[in-house]
Amino acid sequence: MSAYTVHQGQLPGLFRLWAKLYKVHVPVQTAPGFYDFAPWEPDTEIAWDYDLTVNPLKRHLLPPREDLVVFDTRTYEARGVFQAPQQLLFGVHPYDLRAIAQLDQLMELGSPDRNYRRRRENTVIFALDPLRVAPDAFWSTLGAGRADIGFDLYWTKIGPAMFFVEVGTARGEELLLAAGEVERAGAAQHEAARRTREDTRRRADGHGLKFPWQELPRVMAKAWDAGIWREKSSMCLACGSCNLVCPTCYCFDMREELDESLGKGRRWRQWDACMLPAFAQVAGGHNFRGKHLDRYRHRYFRKGKYIFDLIGEPGCVGCGRCIKACTARIANPLAVFNRLWEEYA
Amino acid sequence: MTPGKEFTPYAPRPATLVRKVRLSDFVTLFEFEQDDGRPLAHKPGQFIQVSVYGVGEAPFSISSRPKAGTNSFEIAVRNIGTVTNALHDLAVGAKVGIRGPFGSCFPVQEFVGKDTLFVAGGLGYIPLRSLLRYQLRHREEFGRILLLIGTRSPSERIFVDEIEALSRRSDVEVMETVDCVGDACWEGNVGVITTLLPKVRLDVENTYVAMVGPPVMYRFVIGACVGDQCIPPDRIYVSLERKMKCGIGKCGHCQINGISACVSGPVFRYTDIEPLKEAL
Repeated sequence: MSAYTVHQGQLPGLFRLWAKLYKVHVPVQTAPGFYDFAPWEPDTEIAWDYDLTVNPLKRHLLPPREDLVVFDTRTYEARGVFQAPQQLLFGVHPYDLRAIAQLDQLMELGSPDRNYRRRRENTVIFALDPLRVAPDAFWSTLGAGRADIGFDLYWTKIGPAMFFVEVGTARGEELLLAAGEVERAGAAQHEAARRTREDTRRRADGHGLKFPWQELPRVMAKAWDAGIWREKSSMCLACGSCNLVCPTCYCFDMREELDESLGKGRRWRQWDACMLPAFAQVAGGHNFRGKHLDRYRHRYFRKGKYIFDLIGEPGCVGCGRCIKACTARIANPLAVFNRLWEEYA
Repeated sequence: MTPGKEFTPYAPRPATLVRKVRLSDFVTLFEFEQDDGRPLAHKPGQFIQVSVYGVGEAPFSISSRPKAGTNSFEIAVRNIGTVTNALHDLAVGAKVGIRGPFGSCFPVQEFVGKDTLFVAGGLGYIPLRSLLRYQLRHREEFGRILLLIGTRSPSERIFVDEIEALSRRSDVEVMETVDCVGDACWEGNVGVITTLLPKVRLDVENTYVAMVGPPVMYRFVIGACVGDQCIPPDRIYVSLERKMKCGIGKCGHCQINGISACVSGPVFRYTDIEPLKEAL
């Protein structure tokens, strides 16, 4: 894999160039201690050392609301709508890369989701190694501290004004070299990048699962009747915040509306949440997951077992966003998984 | 045929309502024809998504048998939600949008040469009707056909004429019961559908069960089936209702534990869902 060394001074030129081709999104600080991805502007200050963004990146690949179909109410002709802007996501941490790689697989599984696929094809991803670890994060022990696929370039900050940039795709390399020559990385920079990653990993490893993540589905399989489901869900407000901030939650609802002439209309999908009470309710009122407990348990089984059974890794990447977002302080995959391990291993 | 670049599984195709038959106070049979002239090409047990634009889309089991050379098909619908009410308001000649057929089907070939016990609770006759009519069309390929129907009350019975015609046939055995009579005129069996089971004698080694009903029915009938008459559970097929939305296993609404009912179902072999805690 080829690698380059990029100096801080080269960045403004590169970003200006990329912004001509793509809508570029970068991590920024929105309030002290809070970060999010925002569109890049020439005066944007990139939060190189962000620990975690409030929102995951799924909104750029599976938007909160996305038109799927436009239709005519007289002829009943309908056709698909595809919105797939050229976009570049800069500064994606490996656990979020892992989440995107999961979405890629799940959206392709069986009948492919063409809206997702087109959006994904037009998305360039530049990964960035984390320098700080969020207090609730446990991605390292879930094997999501490093991603080997799913990026066009992988950036590691190896000095106050220097980056080690590993090439993932030809498209990424072209974009890196688009503004002129870039220095090839030497052994020293390779070593510096390795040390930076090692340092982050050491800190990240201190907090996390008490068992190998590969054991998760085996433990979950025994835990259907675990007491923790009742214990935690009895305080659940069914607000869906955990679903909202989860980088791997992708359930959606289908809605539609007519225009003012009532002759044409559009159908879209919008994020839905399995923690909301009516998620599995059918016409007539029967609810297949009517209790808080049913819904709370379902979410953890999806993360710990169902997704695992489909793609071979947990549907949780350990970002810790749901832990931070939960107003009732019950969403906590780390606490749940560790407790189940103690009880059922 | 490889789908074109603009293909999307989310875009419905137009179909036209050609016939409406009132089956009860709440249930109506709808016959549609696909505007493109093509057959729906479904298999017994599969479902479609039907759209009334401006209101929404809802899943329905196909009630007619697969028919080559025709673009028509039937569903039967209870008016209980927004889409179903809008369907009931449609006049013949109105259009709807169709997606599908989706999902699994009854394994018709497996049933060949065997007896079939149909167990229809409530509106369960509607999805079973596709398989039943297929078997009647190819009557000589199948063994005994037994049909057990359980309805809440006499006024809620559906396909009354059709079922009476079936019960007059010598090659179909029909038994019906209602949970409670109320003030209707009813001289048939009274009691839940499980009370019919002791009255049928089955060749258990040679019988398949196709069963559709409300969630509560499955547990009792399967208990009785397995217990007294001992039909091997791998020969029991059920169709499960869930809130299918996308139809292609993405949206998450119809999940039963780790599987999507819209892709792995709605028709399941009982032994395949027995380990799933959320199935029955």
